[in-house]
Amino acid sequence: MSEAGLLTLVQWLSPAFPVGGYAYSHGLEAAIASGQVRNAAALEGWIATILAEGAGRNDAILLAEALKPRADLPALASLAEAMAASRERLVETMEQGRALLATTNALKGDDHPPMPYPVALGAAAAPLGLPAGQVLGLYLHAFGSNLVQVGVRFIPLGQTDGQKVLAALHPVIQRVAREAAKAGLEGLGGGALRGDLAAMQHETMDVRIFRT
Amino acid sequence: MPEDGGLALVDAPRLQRAAGLARVGLGQRDGQAVLADLHQSGCAKAFLPRIHGPVPEVVFLNTAGGLTGGDRVGFSLSVAAGTRAVGTTQTAERAYASAGGVARMSVDLAVGQGAALDWLPQETILFDRAALERRTTVALASEARLVMCEMIGLGRAAMGETVRRLWLNDRREVRRDGKQVLVEPLRLADQTLAAGPAALGEARAFATVAMVARGAEDAVDPLRRLAPEGVDWAVSGWDGKCLVRVMGPDLRPVKRAVAQVLERLRGKALPRVWQM
Repeated sequence: MSEAGLLTLVQWLSPAFPVGGYAYSHGLEAAIASGQVRNAAALEGWIATILAEGAGRNDAILLAEALKPRADLPALASLAEAMAASRERLVETMEQGRALLATTNALKGDDHPPMPYPVALGAAAAPLGLPAGQVLGLYLHAFGSNLVQVGVRFIPLGQTDGQKVLAALHPVIQRVAREAAKAGLEGLGGGALRGDLAAMQHETMDVRIFRT
Repeated sequence: MPEDGGLALVDAPRLQRAAGLARVGLGQRDGQAVLADLHQSGCAKAFLPRIHGPVPEVVFLNTAGGLTGGDRVGFSLSVAAGTRAVGTTQTAERAYASAGGVARMSVDLAVGQGAALDWLPQETILFDRAALERRTTVALASEARLVMCEMIGLGRAAMGETVRRLWLNDRREVRRDGKQVLVEPLRLADQTLAAGPAALGEARAFATVAMVARGAEDAVDPLRRLAPEGVDWAVSGWDGKCLVRVMGPDLRPVKRAVAQVLERLRGKALPRVWQM
C-alpha cells in the first residue's frame, strides 16, 4: 500500500495539482517589498523560521493529528481556522484546503467537507497508510518549495540559487517533521511574529502579485 | 525547558514558591453591576476601586512581586449577562530567572450574553532564564463582546538587559458558545530568540490587541488611520475579529501604540492604574 500511497501523496503535493499554492506568499511578498528579504541568505533564514517557528510547524502538528485513526476532523478544522493569524492567512489555508479536497474527493470518491489545508490533507491522506513523519516531511517540503519560488520570482533569484536555498532547508524540514509528528496539540505554538506581521501588512500593499 | 514541565517541578524545593488565586464575579442588579463572587487566596488579590461607577474596573495583583519557577497564580473574572466591565492588573507582571521548573499562570474569563469585557492587563516583562507557562481562556456567550490586549517585553532595554535564554508558552484561546474562534499559541524558546528576521528581528517587545465581537471588522479602517511612532504594526479583521499586532525595540513605544489603539477601539480612557 505505502509505495503506491507515496506516489499518490507526491502527486497531491506537486505544484501541478490544482491547489493553487503558487498564488500565496504567506506574507513573504510583503517582507521582500519592505526590504527584509533581499537575497538568497535572507530568504533561507525567513523560510527556515516560518517552517520551524511558524505555520510550518503548526500545520505539521495539525496534519499529524488529522492523519490519526479516528481523528476528530471538525474539531481540528475549527482549531486550525481559529489559529489563522490574519484575514489572508485564513484565506490561504481555507482556499487550498477546499481546492485539494475538491480534487481528491473526485479522485477517491470521498466526500470530505471543506477544511483548512493541513487538516484537509490529513483527512485525504490518512487512508494512504504512510508514516506520519514522511507525510509531514513532504508537506513541509512542498510548503518550503513554494515559498522559495516566491523568492525566485520576486526578489528575484536565479533558479539554481533558489534550488540551493531549498536544499539548505532540508535539515530544518526533517527536524520539524520529526518533532511535529509527536508534538500533539499541546505542542502547538510559535514565534514567527514578524512573519505574522508581514502577512497582515500584505493586506494594505498597493501593488500585489500574490494573494497573501 | 518544556521537558521540565508537568508535575516534575513539584519535587523542586518549595522554598518561597508563591501560589494564589483571585476570582471575581460581577452580576447585575437594577441596571447596576454588583459584586456577586469574590475569592482571594495566597498571593493573588483583586480590587474593585470603581465598582460603583457605570463600568466597574477590576484590578488584579500578584503580591509576590513577580513570577519564578514553581509559582502558580490564577486570575478569574466572570461578567454576567448584560454587564460591562474592565479587568486589568495593578502593575507589570515580571517573570524572573527560574532556578528550576516553570511558573504557571492562568487567566480565566467568562462573558455572558449581551455583556462586554475589556481585559487589559499591563505588560509582562520576561527576564533572562525566565520560564513561564500562561494560559488565558475566554468563554464568550453568543452575543458577548471582548477587547483584550497582551504586551510582552524581553528584559528592559533601557537597563541594558539582554534575554538569551527563555521559555515562554503563552496560549490565548477565545471560545464563543464553546467553539474556538481565536487561538494564539505563542511559544518562545532560546532558538526563537536566535532565529532570523521572521521571528523577532530587532524587536524586543511586542503586543497583540484583539477585539472579538459582532462587526469587529468595522474597526479595521479607523485603526489603520492611526500612526503610532517607533513601532512596526498592522491591523487585520475577519469573521467578527479585529486584530492588531505591534512590535518595537522596547516596551515604551509598544505600550504607547497599544494605548492609542485601545483609545480608538474603546472610545474611553485607559484603566487608571496603567502606568505609561
